Amino acid sequence: MTELEAGRAQALVPVRSGAALHRYRDVLIALIAFAVLASLPFFTGSKALLDFVIRCSAYGLFATSLNLLVGYTGLTSFGHGMFFGLGAYSFGLIMQKLGLSIPVAFVATLAVTAVIAAVIGAICVRLKDIYFAFVTLAFQMLIHSTILSWASFTGGDQGLRGGIPRPEFLGINLANHVHLYIASCALLILGLLAMRQIAQSPFGYTLRMIRDNAARASFLGIDVWRAKLTVFVLAALFAAMGGMVMALFVSGAYPEFAYWTISGEGIFINMLGGVSTFLGPMVGTVLLLLLNDTVTRFTEYHGIVLGVVILFFALGLRKGLLDFVAEWFSQRRDAGEGR
Amino acid sequence: MTRTRTPGISRRSTLALMGAGAMSVAAPWVARAQAKTVKIGMPTILSGRVAQLGTSSRNAVMLEVDKVNAAGGLAGRQIEMVVRDSKGQPQEAARVARELVNTDGCELLLDGEASSGSFAVHEVARDLGVLCIHTCSEASSLTADPKQHIPNAFRCVRQGIHDSIVGGSYAAAISKAKGLKKWATCSPDYAYGRDTTGEFTLYLKRFAPDVEVISESWPKLFQPDYTEVVTKILQAKPQALYSCLWGGDLTSYIDQANIYAMFTQMEVFAVNMADYTALTVVKNLPKGIHSGNRYIKTYPSTPENAAWGDAYKAKYNEYPTNWSWQNATAVMFLAEAAKKANSTDGKKLAEVLAGLTIKCPFGADGTVTMRGDDHTLVGYAIGWGTTIPQEPYVPEVKAGDWKTIFELEAEWKKSKGYT
Repeated sequence: MTELEAGRAQALVPVRSGAALHRYRDVLIALIAFAVLASLPFFTGSKALLDFVIRCSAYGLFATSLNLLVGYTGLTSFGHGMFFGLGAYSFGLIMQKLGLSIPVAFVATLAVTAVIAAVIGAICVRLKDIYFAFVTLAFQMLIHSTILSWASFTGGDQGLRGGIPRPEFLGINLANHVHLYIASCALLILGLLAMRQIAQSPFGYTLRMIRDNAARASFLGIDVWRAKLTVFVLAALFAAMGGMVMALFVSGAYPEFAYWTISGEGIFINMLGGVSTFLGPMVGTVLLLLLNDTVTRFTEYHGIVLGVVILFFALGLRKGLLDFVAEWFSQRRDAGEGR
Repeated sequence: MTRTRTPGISRRSTLALMGAGAMSVAAPWVARAQAKTVKIGMPTILSGRVAQLGTSSRNAVMLEVDKVNAAGGLAGRQIEMVVRDSKGQPQEAARVARELVNTDGCELLLDGEASSGSFAVHEVARDLGVLCIHTCSEASSLTADPKQHIPNAFRCVRQGIHDSIVGGSYAAAISKAKGLKKWATCSPDYAYGRDTTGEFTLYLKRFAPDVEVISESWPKLFQPDYTEVVTKILQAKPQALYSCLWGGDLTSYIDQANIYAMFTQMEVFAVNMADYTALTVVKNLPKGIHSGNRYIKTYPSTPENAAWGDAYKAKYNEYPTNWSWQNATAVMFLAEAAKKANSTDGKKLAEVLAGLTIKCPFGADGTVTMRGDDHTLVGYAIGWGTTIPQEPYVPEVKAGDWKTIFELEAEWKKSKGYT
C-alpha cells in the first residue's frame, strides 16, 4: 500500500496548483451524478433499483467516512459502526419522542453524534494502531450493550418499533418512495462532495502527512491530536448521516446497526473498493451490495461466496478494485508515453 | 507506425464483459408480468445460529404448500414459494421483504423472522400494504401493542404471555403439592428472556403467593460456558429452578449442569425443553424436567398431529420444531381464507382472516382461531409436562386452560396500557 500511496503523492503535486479548478470540476461531477441519479425514476419503474440506490447511499456514506480515517489518516477504526447506529437511533428517537420536523431532527442528530464522537475520540485518538482499533471496538460494544439493556428507552433487542414518523417538510414527503430516494441521493452526493473537499483541503493533506509520518508532522508544528480528533468527529458525522438514511429506509432502528459486524462490513467494503482513491469505498459499496443481493437470491451459503471474493481481493489483487483499475490505467499510460 | 497490442484484456472483450455484467445486474430488476401462479414471499433465517429453525420453517411451509397445490391451489392459483435468507439481520429482512414484493412479484408475505427482524418486516407490510403473516416472532408487543396494529398483518405464533400464564399456574400447583418455596431463575439476558421470566414469576406468585425468588442468573445469549451460573445456583440451594434458555443454549446448559448433578437436587422448569431440537441433542436427558410444549407429536394426542409429525419426519428425516407447526398453520389459514374469499387478493383475505377459526392438528380442541381484535393466534395446544430420556420424551402433558389465559391476558394488556 505504501508504494501505491507514494506513487499517488507524486502525482498529486501538480494537482495542488490547480486546486480551485479541480474544486469546480468536483462540483460539476457531483451535479451530473445527482442529475443522473435523480432522473432514474423517470426511466424505470423498478422499486428494487431505487431501494438499491438508497441502501448504497447509507452504506456509501458510512464506508467513505470510514476511509477518511483508514485511508487518509491511517486510523484503522474497528468501531466506526457505532456512529452508524447512533445516527439511526438518535434520529429515530427524536422523531418518535419529540415529533420535530425532519431537518431539525437531522441537525440535532448530527449535534448529538458530534458531542459523543468528541468524547470517544478524545480518548481513542491518543492511541495508535491495534490499540486504537481495539479501543474503538470496545466503545462500539459499550454503545451496543447500552442500546440492548436500556430497553425502556431504546426498545432493547427488538429495536425502535412502531415506525418512524415522517411529517412533510418543504413539500418533501419522505413516506413517498421516490421522495425518499431523491433525498437519499442528495444526501449521498452532498456528503461525498463535502468529504472530497475535506480530503483535498490543506487539512486533508495534513491528515496524509500524519498517516505517513506523525512525528514529522508534529515537528512541523501540527497538533496531531487535534487533527486526528477533528477528522474522527467529522467521519462520525458522515457515518451518522448514513445511519439516518438507513433508519428512514427500514422505518426503524435496530441494535444490529450498532453491532461490530457493521464496522466489519465497512472495513470489508474499503478492502473491496480500495482505500487509495476517494471513490474506492463507493465502488466497494456497490460491489458488496450487488454481490450480497445477487448471491442471496440463489443460495443461503452466501458466506462461502463472499469469503472467496475476499480471498480473491486480499490474496489475488492485493488491493481494492479501484486501486487495481487506477494502477492498470497509469501503467497503460506510462507504457503509451514510453513508446 | 505499427501498433503492438498491450497485454491484458482487449477492448472488445471488456465491452462484452460489461454487457454481460449489465445484463446480470438488470435481470432481477426487470419486473415480471403477473403469472397464473400466486407467489408467496418468505424472508427467514437460513444461516447462522438459528438456521435450523428457519430451515424447519421452510420445510413445514413446503409440506403444506404441496398439499394446497395438489388440492387446486389458492382460489385456483398454484402457490409458488420464494424463500430467502435474511441472516437474522433486520435491515436485510426489510430489504428482502421489499425485494420479494417489488421485484419478485410476491402477492403475500410469510414473515419467518424472529425478534427485531419481524418488526422490520412489519414496517415493510405497513409501507407496502401487502398481506403479511408473522410466523416466528413470539414477542407479545408485535400484536398486543395497538401502535403496531395494521389491518394487513397477522401473527400465527404462540406468545410469551400465554406460555407464562400456563407455566405459572402449572408450576404453582406443583409448588403447593411439593412445598417448593425457594425458587431460582436462569434465563438469557435479552428482551425475550427478561420479559418471559418476569411474567412467569408474576403468575407463579399470583397462584402460589408464598413463593420467593432467591437467586437470578442472566447468562448472555449464546454463552458457551455456564459453570459460574450452575455453581451460583447450587450455592443458593433453591428448591426449584425456572429457565427460558432455548435451543443450543439450553442443551449446553443441561449438559454442563448434569456434571454437577443439578437435576437431582431441585425441580427444574424449562419452558423450551419439549422441542425436538433440544430433546434429541441433549446427551443425557434427565428424567422429570418440567417443560412447556413447543412441538411434540404426542401433544395434542390426536391422530392428526401424530400423522403430521410423522409425515414431516418421513420427508425431511428429522422432527419438526416449534417454528414448523406455526408456519404450517399459517399456510392452512391462507388456504382456508382463500377458499372463503374465493380470491387471493390481500385485502379480501385479510377481512376473512380476522376472526377466522380453522380445523388444525395443533389446536387445543382441534381448531385454532385468528383472533379478530388483535390479529393473533389463539386456541393452540398449550400445556406442560415432565420429560423422560427416550421417545415420546414428554409422555403426559397437562393442558393449559384457555379461559384463564384470556382473563389474565386481558388483565396483562390493561396493565401494559395496551387497552
